[in-house]
Formats: sequence, C-alpha cells, structure tokens
Amino acid sequence: MTGSTSRSMGRRGFLGLAAAAAAVPTLAACNVSGSSNTGSAGGSSDPVKFWDQPWATTAYNDLGKKITEAFVPSGMSNKASYQVIPWNNFYQTYASAIASGTGPAVSTGGGFQPFQFAEQGAIAYADNLLTSWKSNGMYDDYLPGIAEANKTDNGIAAVPWQLDARVMWANTKLLDQAGADVPTDFDSLLKAGLALKKIGVSGFATGAGAGNNLGSHTMVAMMIMNGGGLFTEDGTPACVTDRNIEAMDFVKQLANEGIIDAGAVSYTSDNLNNQWSTKKAGIGINTAGLDASAAAVKGDIEVISPLAGPHGDKATLYFVNSVMMYTKTPSQAASEAFVTYYLQNIHQYWDSGQINGVPVLKSIATSEAVTKNANLAKATKEYVPLGKTYAATGTKLFAGLASVDGGQALTQFAQTMLQGKTDSKTALTALQSGIEQAIK
Amino acid sequence: MATTTGLRRAATGVGVAGPGAPLHHGKNKQLSRGAITMVLLVAPSVVLLLLINAYPLIYAANQSLHKGSLIITGKFVGFANYTDVLTRPAFWQAARFTLIFTLVGVFGSWLIGLALALLLRTRIPGGTVFKVLLMLPWVVPIVVSSTAWNWLVATPSSPVPALAERLGFGQLLFLADPTLAAITVCVFKVWVSFPFMMLMTSAALASVDTTVYEAANMDGATKWQQLTQITLPIVSRSTYISWILMTIFCVNDFPTIFLLTGGGPVTATSSLVVLAYRTVFQDFQTGPGVAIAFLMTIVLVIISTVLYRQIRKGETA
Amino acid sequence: MTALEVGGHPAVVPVKELTVKGSAEPGTKGQWGRFSLLLVITVVVLIPIYVTLFLSIRPGSFSTSSSFFTLGNFSYIFASSDVLTWLVNSLGVTVVTVLISVAVAAPAGYVLSRGRSRAVAGYSLLLFIIQSLPIITAVIPLFILFAKIGLADNLIGLVIVYVGSTMSVATWMMAAYFDSIPHTLEEAAWVDGASVFGGFVRIILRNSLPGILSTAIFAFLVAWNDYLVALVFLKSSNVFTLPVGLQSFFQQNATDWGSVMAVSVVMLLPPTVLFAVLNKYFSVGGIGGSLAGR
Repeated sequence: MTGSTSRSMGRRGFLGLAAAAAAVPTLAACNVSGSSNTGSAGGSSDPVKFWDQPWATTAYNDLGKKITEAFVPSGMSNKASYQVIPWNNFYQTYASAIASGTGPAVSTGGGFQPFQFAEQGAIAYADNLLTSWKSNGMYDDYLPGIAEANKTDNGIAAVPWQLDARVMWANTKLLDQAGADVPTDFDSLLKAGLALKKIGVSGFATGAGAGNNLGSHTMVAMMIMNGGGLFTEDGTPACVTDRNIEAMDFVKQLANEGIIDAGAVSYTSDNLNNQWSTKKAGIGINTAGLDASAAAVKGDIEVISPLAGPHGDKATLYFVNSVMMYTKTPSQAASEAFVTYYLQNIHQYWDSGQINGVPVLKSIATSEAVTKNANLAKATKEYVPLGKTYAATGTKLFAGLASVDGGQALTQFAQTMLQGKTDSKTALTALQSGIEQAIK
Repeated sequence: MATTTGLRRAATGVGVAGPGAPLHHGKNKQLSRGAITMVLLVAPSVVLLLLINAYPLIYAANQSLHKGSLIITGKFVGFANYTDVLTRPAFWQAARFTLIFTLVGVFGSWLIGLALALLLRTRIPGGTVFKVLLMLPWVVPIVVSSTAWNWLVATPSSPVPALAERLGFGQLLFLADPTLAAITVCVFKVWVSFPFMMLMTSAALASVDTTVYEAANMDGATKWQQLTQITLPIVSRSTYISWILMTIFCVNDFPTIFLLTGGGPVTATSSLVVLAYRTVFQDFQTGPGVAIAFLMTIVLVIISTVLYRQIRKGETA
Repeated sequence: MTALEVGGHPAVVPVKELTVKGSAEPGTKGQWGRFSLLLVITVVVLIPIYVTLFLSIRPGSFSTSSSFFTLGNFSYIFASSDVLTWLVNSLGVTVVTVLISVAVAAPAGYVLSRGRSRAVAGYSLLLFIIQSLPIITAVIPLFILFAKIGLADNLIGLVIVYVGSTMSVATWMMAAYFDSIPHTLEEAAWVDGASVFGGFVRIILRNSLPGILSTAIFAFLVAWNDYLVALVFLKSSNVFTLPVGLQSFFQQNATDWGSVMAVSVVMLLPPTVLFAVLNKYFSVGGIGGSLAGR
C-alpha cells in the first residue's frame, strides 16, 4: 500500500475489511514494526511527508506549509507535503501512524521523540546529513554544543532547529511598585518575593495543572541552577543529592512564605499566562516567549540575567527541539535534501515574527529579527550557553527521558513541592523511585 | 433493557429464535422459517462488533501480557504487568477515587435528575423550553465545558472563588486543594450527567398510571410517602438500568477528569482510566497501562452483572 | 468503547405517551412558584454555557483590541481557518453515522427483543462487555488495522469506527423500544401471510419512529462530539472534523481562546437546534418508560 489515501471505499474496501478481520489473531500476535523496512531501499518519487506541530499561532503553520510546498530538490522528482499534527495526543498520533506504516518521512515533534522512536527502530540517523553540512557551512552555523545534541550510541537521532529554554522573567513595574530589586541570586529572589507578596503579587509564578509541565520544568531548573540535576554523568537517576535537597528546601520555603501562589499547583498554562497578564505574577521561570502569551504586560516584563545559586553556579534547563527523519521514506536522499532545505529556510519564522523559540543557528541569532527583540536576544545570549538538558550533569540523552518529562513521577513531585507540605528529602526519594521505575 | 430480556428469557431456555409469549404452533413454524431471517437481521451488527470492538480488545489483551511499546509488542511477560500494577499504591488510590467519583456521579445525577423530572412532570409555563435548556450541559462537548468550568474556578480571581471570598468563605482553591478538587470534579460530572438521568426518569414516570395517586390521596398518604412507596418502586427497573449505564459512563469517563485537573493535585483526582492513560501515554509503560484498563473492565462487568441480577429478581418477583 | 461519547450518553428517549396528566396540584399559584424555582435552577445550571458564549465574543488573547464585544473571533475563524470545511465534514460524518447506525441497530434490536435463545442472551451480554472497554485502549489497534486497508485519514474509516462504537447502546435502545410494541401486532401480520422480515419492516419499523429518532440522536452526539478517535485518524486539514480543527488553536504553550470558543459555539449549534426541533418526540416516554410499562 502506498502512502496515498484512498478516499473512496467501494466493495473492495469492504472485502479488505473482512480479510483484515480474518487476520486478527495473526496481526495481534506479530510485531507490527516490520513496515519500517519497506521504504528507504526503493527510492520512489512520492512526496516527502513532513509533519509539523502548532509551535505558534495558525499563521506559523500557514508559513510552514508555504515553505514546505516550495521545496524543489535538484536531481530528484520528490516534492514535499505538509501536515499539522495537534499537540493534543500527538504521541498517540505519531505512534499509531508509524506502527501502521503511514507515518511521516520527516517531522518536528516532542523534544524526546527522536530518542523514543530511535529505540523502536523507526528513526533514520542523521550522521551522514550532519557530515555533509560540515562542507557547506551549515554545521558551523549551529551555536556551540548544539549540533550533536541528539547523539546516541547508535548515531545522531535528529538535527536541532530551535530551543525551548527556561528563563527567569520579572515584571519590573511591579518590582518598582513593591520597592524590590531585580533578583540576582536565591537570597535576593526570596527578598523580592517577600516584598511582592505585600502588594499581593507572586514572586515565583509557576503552574502544574492539567497539561502544564512548567511546574515540573521549574523544579528541575532550580536543581540545575544549584549545580544539581536528575541524573549522574552516566545516566543513572540521582535525585536525592545535597544540591537538590538544598534547591528544593528553597522552593519549599517559597511555598511556605506564600511567595508561590497557593493555587499554582492547579494552574494550566493558560491560567498562568493570565496571572502574568493581570499583574498577579512578578517573577517566575517561563518559556522565552512569555511576552507573546501575556501580551497585556508585554512592555512591563523582561528576561532577567540568570540567577546565581548559593554556591555560585549558573545554569538553566533547556529542551532541544529537533527535526527528525524516519526509516519509512520514499527515499533517504530526498529526506536529507528536504531537511537541508528546511533548515536553510526556518529563518523565515523569526523574520516574520511567527515564532518565539530560541534560535539554534548563529545566522538567526544574529539576525535583526532576533537582536531587535530584547528578551529573545537576552535568552539567546545569556541563557543558551548555560543551558543543560534533563540529563544535566551528563550529555547523553536517552529515550527514557520522555517518560520523565511529563511523566507521572515528575508531575506529582512538582505538585507535591508546590503544596509546600512535604519534606524535600522525602519528595526527592519518591521522585527517585518513580524515575527508576519509569526508565527501567 | 434488552439484555435483561435476553437473560431472563435465556433462563427459560427455549431454542433459537423461538416464538413469543404464549406458544402457538402455527406461529412457531412461521418463526422457525424466520430463524434465518433473524440471523440475517443481526448479522451486520455482529460483523461490525467483531471488527471494530473485538479486534482492539484482543490486541489490547495481548499488549497487557507483553513488555513493549505502542509500536513494538515486545517480550511476553505473562501476568507480570498485572501483579506489578496491583502492587502499586497509585492503583489503589485511583481505585478509591474511581469508587467515590462513580458513587457521586451516579447517585448525584440521579437525585437531581429525579427531582427535575418530578418538577417538569407538573404543569409549568414554558416547560418544554426549560427541558431543552436543561439538556445543554449534556450536549456541550466536554472539551468546551471543561474550559468554561476552569475559567470559573481556577485562580483566586476567577468568578466563583472571588464570590466565595466576598461571602466570607476565605480563599477557596477549587482545583489546588486535594479535597476541593475531588469535589469540584464530582460536581462537574454531576453537571454533565444529570440531564441524562432527567430524561430516563421522565420517561419512566410517564408510564406510571396517575390513578394510583388519586387512590393514595384518598388514603391520606403524604407526598413523600407517595414518592417512596408508590413512584419509586414502580420505576425501580428503569432506575436500575440508568444506574448501570451511568456506572459504565462514570468508570470509563476520561475527558471530564483529565481536562479539568489532569488527575491532580498529585493523585487526588486520578481515576483508574486517567491512571491508565497517563501510564501508557506519559510514562510510556504500555503493558501496565493496558493491564489497568483491563482490570477496570473486569470489575465493571462484575458490578453490572450483579445489578442485572437485581433486575431479573425484580422481574421474576 | 464508552469513552467515545465524551460525556455523551445514550440519549434521548422515545415517546410513549405524549400527554401527561398533571398528577398533582394544577393550581396556578403553585404553577408560578414551580416556574420560578425552575427558572432559578436553569439560570444557575447554564452559567458555564454563558461563559462559553461570553468568551467567544471577547477579543482573543492575541488581539490588541480592548473592546468588550467583538465578532472578530467569528470572522477570524471563518476567514483564516478551514472551519467551513470542518463543519461540512462533521455534518457529513455525523449524518452518515446516524443513518448506518440506525440501519444496523434496528434489525439487531428486533432480534434481541424477540429472540429467546441463549445465543441472543449471550450476544446481549457481549454487547455490554465491549461497551465497558475504554476507547483509549482501542484507538491505536484500530488505526493500525484501518491504515492497512487504506481507511486512515479518511472520513469513511471514521464513520465505521463511530458506527461500531454506537452499536451496543443503539441496539439496546432499539430493542427496548421494540419491547414496548405488542407481539400480537406482528403475529397478526404473520397470520395474514407476511414473512418475518415483512412483519419487521411493515409493522414494527413503521411504528417505531420515536425509537428510531432517539437512537439517531444518540449516534449523532457520539459522532459529533468525538475528538479522541478523530485526532488519531485524521491527518489532513481537508478531512478534519470540527473537534480536530479546534485542536489547531491549541499551541505549545498558549491557546487562542477567542478562536476556540468561537469554534465551540459553532459546534454547539447543530445539536441544540436538533434537540429543540425534535424535543416533542422525545420528551416523554422511552427506554425506561417502555420497560417499566411492559
């Protein structure tokens, strides 16, 4: 069966249905991933299927479609087709499509998606592609340390196209009103928080409600800021460490002092944006695009310089978002040609102001569109060099991280900490066993 | 409901497509000839059922016995996923919340539905308009109504908490406090479900012969006595049926909880189906997650079979 | 496969008797007292509905407009999204689902209602067990199966899944309604020489309009409100249904609520209009009624 969808279903469709029903026991018993080896060998001229997510407003996807459809490879007849995959249940959408052989040839997607699908044999590694970029300058266009962020034991699982960094924001107008200074370390954050509390503003705005991972990210960011993290160098979970306990004790203190809003545990992304918009949030860790989602206070809020931890560490959490290729493709050469073309054109998103992600390419980071945007420029300049992934002290990412990010263990840990009632060590011990179970 | 009919009639054990109540031999012959017709009539539904429902059931049952992902079936591990799941505290917490959620969902929506059905039964100006308007909570997609509820209660400055504070209840965090979050989710479920119960009850009440009330009135029975001793016993069978259906809907209800609280704070509103979803799609543990769904289904079937028997007893009595 | 009817439940029930004799206190004073009570209840119950309407006419979160009332969200979704296509797709899928559901469930319901064998009883129980399995465990195997036969990303595939998932309750609903029709009716027809099939079509179906309509409404709500199955099955914007189209306004870290609520209002209208128009057929009588009265 080709990737094309037959829209008419006559008698043959029904017969097919009946045949499939007869095959039920066989199907259920066998491994369905076999479809993955049907594509790459032949090299057909079918279009390269590119799946993208709603990274920003619908205008972003309109531009994405335009870029994709303008793809004309030299020496090949493959074109590219564009589809938007909603965030809601996106893993389900990808998994079912890949399992049935109707998945994309190239896609953006979740931060850990390349590792997950690589583990399941569905990813086409990008080593050759990156090597080819060394000769045309594209490899060197990556900001330092980013190009091979997706390196695994078996190869490079995907190529980065933007970053999602956790940066510290402050509403300077509210700080002035409360008579507080812009915080530079944990102590001054506490002081500013206490001052903001007096005028009814949260000094550590976050949220861990339905579908909101920011609370979890904030907790890990605080650990990383203090030189801690969730894993050791070799990738074993190490949550119950002195640095982590210290960072979480600080979060607990923020919760108990009322600097963290008592409702934060249930705030969705939208509730939290609303807290910023209605001037109930003074300081907080958020995405680099907060000024776009809290447009009402755009002029008042700004990215502040990274805080120093109690031991002088400076770091933050970031996620590398990548473009990945799959083994199911009309031709691997066409997939690679498309990814090259796409990376050469993503600057259009920043140029037209359609996206607020942190760029990974020097050419974009230094372009007028980014330097003009003070907050994005600051995030790129000051935070990206300090950025670390979940595997904070190590560098190797692995598929299990997907079940850590957004998994139940970390979400529940963040909610527990935000409630401010549980001892840090107890909570971290629970997190440790949760993560051990998740990645085993 | 038909199932009860089937069960009850099965107990009398007559052959395939046997004839109706009193056996007339001529009609029996007619129906025997009709047996093929009967098979043909039910055939499309059987085919669809096997294709659309039985296949995923078998597929999922197979997944629950393997350690794999959504894409790769993985290694056969027997019942290890089940024992794993049953030893997790999260499973029992979720089971407990599912029980509470179901009890409140079923009886809360039934009581409100019953009260409204009794009210709508009387002559009221514009009764039909009210009936249509009261159906809306059930017609609105959950993805929309959960958003509206979130808007009403989520933050301290949302309308409901702001009102509660002004009335002197202090700062109420409807979704952040574990107990209040559980209550809010249950209330939301009742809000979504009561119209269904209202319709079921209205339907049953319509068949009650009004002359019994005239007799009861003459005997000097109070309204409450009339309700508990006449009305409710008469509609008991349809009441059981609506309870069974609502039990299925509550136990299996995913969006109501997931869209409002995501199962939190921590595990306060995590029901079994939410736990199953999070285990499969957030922790990526396909086997254990599907095992949870299966355990849930088994319990559900047992509960409902018990309720069925209740109805059968009612019929034979 | 219950979770499919996202909050929906087997619907609306057929008419048994259209007229209800006011059983108690017909006095006008009590009448207006009850009217006021009902008015208060209805006003309170509908608060979340007003919120939806309210948010759909407020400037969206990405808009710089500060006016209180705007139709901008509506003009935006009609101008710059495919909402019209989605609406047409949703209506098409729903109508076809309804027609097939009824066409399959009615004969099966007749067999359940009139059949006496163990096989029938067993089938009835099977319908029930399958109804109990949550849809989230079924979506992926179904997709894999459908993709193999070219029915993924295809509205016909979606219709087949919807018909399958309405089957249990729809069959029960039809059976329950047929139970309320006296057997003597078709027995008389058989004596006059009609076949079993003839009796079913000419006698039973002809007298079952309310039962058919209520089953239809149930199937309508299942197909109209589902987004879980559609989300996994549909990939191309030209085949999106409204609930899937709605998802494109949910971005990674923000949501365009103005557009979401405007699409929601569009989604809300057809079932509400349908229910208002058909209300008199369903208002009284039904599954419960026919059972209790049997």
